[in-house]
Amino acid sequence: MSEELVIEEKRVFMTGNEVVAWAALAAGADIMYGYPITPQNEVMHYWSRLAPRYGKNFLQTEDELSAGFATAGGVMAGRKAFTATAGSGSVLMQEPMAMVEMMRLPTVTVVQQRGGPSTATVIYSQQEVALTTMGGNGEGMRVVYSTAGHQDLYDYTIKAFNSAWKYRFPAFVLGDGYQAKMREPLTIYEPEKRGITLLEPEPYVGREGKPGQDRPPAQYRNTYNLEEELYEKLMSDIRDFEKISAEIAEYESMHTEGAELVIIAHGIVFRAVGEAVSNLREQGLRVGGFRPVTLRPLPAAQIKDLVAGVKKILVVESAYGQMARLLKETACGAPCEIHTMFKPGVGIAAEEVEEKAKEILHSQ
Amino acid sequence: MPETTRMVLAGEGGQGVQAIAEILAEAANEEGRQALYIPSFGVEQRGGVSVAFLQIGDHAIGSPKFLRGDVVAALSDRAVRRIAPYAGPETTFIYDSAMEGVADDLPRNAARVMPVPAMEVAKKEFQPRVYNMVIMGALIGATGIIPLDRAKTALEKKLGYKFEKRPQLRELNFRALERGMELGRGGMGGGLN
Repeated sequence: MSEELVIEEKRVFMTGNEVVAWAALAAGADIMYGYPITPQNEVMHYWSRLAPRYGKNFLQTEDELSAGFATAGGVMAGRKAFTATAGSGSVLMQEPMAMVEMMRLPTVTVVQQRGGPSTATVIYSQQEVALTTMGGNGEGMRVVYSTAGHQDLYDYTIKAFNSAWKYRFPAFVLGDGYQAKMREPLTIYEPEKRGITLLEPEPYVGREGKPGQDRPPAQYRNTYNLEEELYEKLMSDIRDFEKISAEIAEYESMHTEGAELVIIAHGIVFRAVGEAVSNLREQGLRVGGFRPVTLRPLPAAQIKDLVAGVKKILVVESAYGQMARLLKETACGAPCEIHTMFKPGVGIAAEEVEEKAKEILHSQ
Repeated sequence: MPETTRMVLAGEGGQGVQAIAEILAEAANEEGRQALYIPSFGVEQRGGVSVAFLQIGDHAIGSPKFLRGDVVAALSDRAVRRIAPYAGPETTFIYDSAMEGVADDLPRNAARVMPVPAMEVAKKEFQPRVYNMVIMGALIGATGIIPLDRAKTALEKKLGYKFEKRPQLRELNFRALERGMELGRGGMGGGLN
């Protein structure tokens, strides 16, 4: 007998991996498929401990390829299914995710970035941005939320399920090893009580009625014979994606109005930026901060506005320009100076950002 | 005290630095304050220096990573070498005075370098296994980062099931904690510079 899930709204103190497991429950996830890899292991541990209590399921597969395909199978059966991975696991995950993109399946994947390439470190990085946004042999028809801490992990994991099922593109929650392992407070809640309507999943296969008579036949393909046939299918998806991009895109900005320098970062690095911006403003310096919350699609209109009105930007990330490349594509043609602070695979402290910002401001 | 207190604790696996950091963080959170605790971890399963990073403050905590700690505490000679770089001009650097051969590795730029005879006190006055309680007490004593009763409540939450079975354990841990606080307040040892 399973219990009914009741999430009392309260402040809790836990690790990010535990937050993800609770958020998936709150989002009404039915099943997780996964294969162990640090630093996401405890997502599986917590989920597999919590899930049976509430009549939910867990399946450990033989690798990430299989975890990804099983997640695809789960959603085709009409279940809210998700997986979590990191590092080399994310690399393997691209093969199933490419199929998921092709078949427009609403999977949710949580990525807790670790150092790369290859095994590298089990600790932390922002080096899975390119992979998560544009991985696979496709056009990156994905929704990617980059979280900056535990409240985000909770909020955006819930949102990822809704976005996936609403738009029928795969959704990703892009965290990192710091967020996975650290403990900090957050408020958990039942989405419905906050006015968030959870979308009901529906099966792709095995539906009622006679195909072609009672309902359209279900045909989900990842194989096409003709170039033109593929082109037509892809352009239709691309148009859909472009149409919903502005609606999905999210960002956070602080003191960008009238700023001389705007520091751009995503995920946990934006917390260092936020701290640095507050300190710099206390010192009377006109510095602002901007954070794309969605890395795919990017908040393109806001980025274009931002770079058109500011003299200098500084891009900070724990990777060697993976987010900067996405930004530059959007900002192309803007007259502002672009400075960078790239520290691949290493955490970034507020003091370092502050120092770099001062160096830029004083070098005119 | 600065707005946010930053601590780095390091020791050998088994010395309990992660447990100490977690209990302090939990206690601060229970008080309604902001806290962020993150263990550093590598691929090694055992044998490495274990480091815990802890921040406690009244406003939302920024980056989990920082360059200088307000309090940096090392429980082993390897830990001294590993975390001495986190000491700066405003740092209180705490280390166990039972350690030998670390004089050259102690940070020279710290505001205060504070040897604490935690191991000696744990062995002579209690039992070696409450060493981490003495250390935790010393940290609380040196910083006033959380009130003693909050620390006790957090301990109760973590170890309550053990205390239920053997109430004398509760007494032992609490006394070690209080004794540690005395040490941390600078009643013994004092600073080097």
